Parts: sequence; C-alpha cells; structure tokens
Amino acid sequence: MSDPRTTQPFDSPGVASVEEGHVVLDGPDGIAITLTIEAARQTGESLVAAADAAARQASDS
Amino acid sequence: MFTDRFLANRRGVELTSEERALLESAISEVRTLEPRTTLVRAGEAIEISTLLVEGMMSRYIDDHKGLRQLVAVHVAGEFVDLHAYPMHRLDHSIGTLTGATVAIIPHDSLQVILAGREEFARKLWFSTMLDAALHRAWLFRLGRLDAVGRVAHFLSETNARLQAAGLSDGRRFALGLTQSDIAEVCGLTTVHTNRAIRQLREADLCVFKSSLVEIIDAPALAKRGDFDPHYLYLAPSE
Repeated sequence: MSDPRTTQPFDSPGVASVEEGHVVLDGPDGIAITLTIEAARQTGESLVAAADAAARQASDS
Repeated sequence: MFTDRFLANRRGVELTSEERALLESAISEVRTLEPRTTLVRAGEAIEISTLLVEGMMSRYIDDHKGLRQLVAVHVAGEFVDLHAYPMHRLDHSIGTLTGATVAIIPHDSLQVILAGREEFARKLWFSTMLDAALHRAWLFRLGRLDAVGRVAHFLSETNARLQAAGLSDGRRFALGLTQSDIAEVCGLTTVHTNRAIRQLREADLCVFKSSLVEIIDAPALAKRGDFDPHYLYLAPSE
C-alpha cells in the first residue's frame, strides 16, 4: 500500500543546528545527518540553487 | 545452565526441561571472548552455532571501505547465528561488543537432538523468526524515525529484551556499548548520537552514563521512539 507521506516530496523544511563544531540537520521526516562546516556550506548553496531552478521550472510549466 | 535465558519469557515457546537438557548436552565448548573479537567472518563456511551466555554481540557488515554497519545486536540468552545451521555460511560477520561468554553447539549435534522432535525444532525456528522480526523493526527505525526517536527506540527495545532475559528490572540496565556503537546501530554520526542522548536526558526520559542506562519514564521513552514491543513476542507479564 502506498503511503503518500513517504512517496511524495516533503513540504516541511529540515532544521539545521550546531553541535560540537559541526552542522546537524534534522528532518524533514527521518533525515538525520551531520556535516562538516564546508560540506554544510556547499550543501546549502546547492540546495538554494536547485530550489531556484525548480521554481523557474514550475513557473515555465 | 548455559541455556537458562534462551527463549525465556517468550510467548508459547518456553523450553521443556527435556528440551533444555538436550540443548545443554549439545554444547561442545564454552568460550570466553574479549571485547571487539570477531567470531565469524562473512562468507566463511561454519559448522557450529553460537549461543550468547553473557555479554553483548553484534552482526555486522563492512562496506568496501571497511566501515562497519551493525545490523543486529544480541543480548545474553540469544543465538547469534542459529541461521547458520541451514545456511552453512553467513552473509554478515559476528563479533563481540563487550566481553562475552558463548556456548558452541555443533550443527551435527543440533541435527541429532532435533531429529523426531518437531515441537523442539519449531521453537528453534521461532528463535530465528524472532531475529527476522527484529530486523524489520530495525528497518522501520532507520527509515521512519528521527535521530532522537531512533535512539529512544533502540534503548526501549534493548530494555525489553534484557528484561525478558532477567537482566533489566525495567528501569535500569547495564549497556556496555559506546556512543559510537549506538551511532552505528541508529545510522547516525557520533555527534548526532551524543546530542540525541542529551535531548533524551533533558526531556527526563532516560540517562545513559558510564555504561548504565536509567529509564526515567518508560512509556514516554517508548512513545518518543514509536516503540511497540509486539514484535518481541514477549510472554504476558504475570
């Protein structure tokens, strides 16, 4: 049986916080990862760029 | 007896005194193992199964970089590899987490004591099916729960298993695992695990300190970890 909560994109954001000099990302859903400062910075930039591209894609369609 | 804790307090599978005596008679050797000792490596042929008498052990799989993922943790009273009896080799390795005492049972002996004893065989089969139920619960934990929930689920589950084995009073138990071990169980980094444990303490749910877990509010801890012990097939409490 398909559960839309696990097969659809998440519409709630994750929460990033600081722990022991690392960036900890919790959520959405069961996401739980720890990143170094540089990895967090690059991931954040990549996410923003992808979100901008997705927004353009949505407005074009 | 070395087998006293095996299937203790599990629903409908308590061994008869005859079955327990047979299992004891099948033990060929009792070994004491140091912590972090590999007992069986993935892929090697084996002709024995191992009953954990004291301590904690794990099943684990190494990735191509040699990084370890714990895929099961065993407590005293459990076979760590009864499935090796029909399968002859394992798709995972087995090692101790803490110091451990194990009882070795050759597969030839298992075959002898099970011959013509279908009910006894069913109980050993139940034991391996219990392993499968635990694996399903571990998949659920990793797939659906957040960091704090994963740790809460693991501690609730371990408490219930140790209680069945008479090694927890339901509130306090010895857990000879490091935070790094718990991190591997829960698919988290040690940084994340450390924080999750702190958050459980700050929420007055449980405290993990100096290899001792003290559960302050068991129902709330279970709720935080979405833990329901039905998959452990525990006997109803008297």
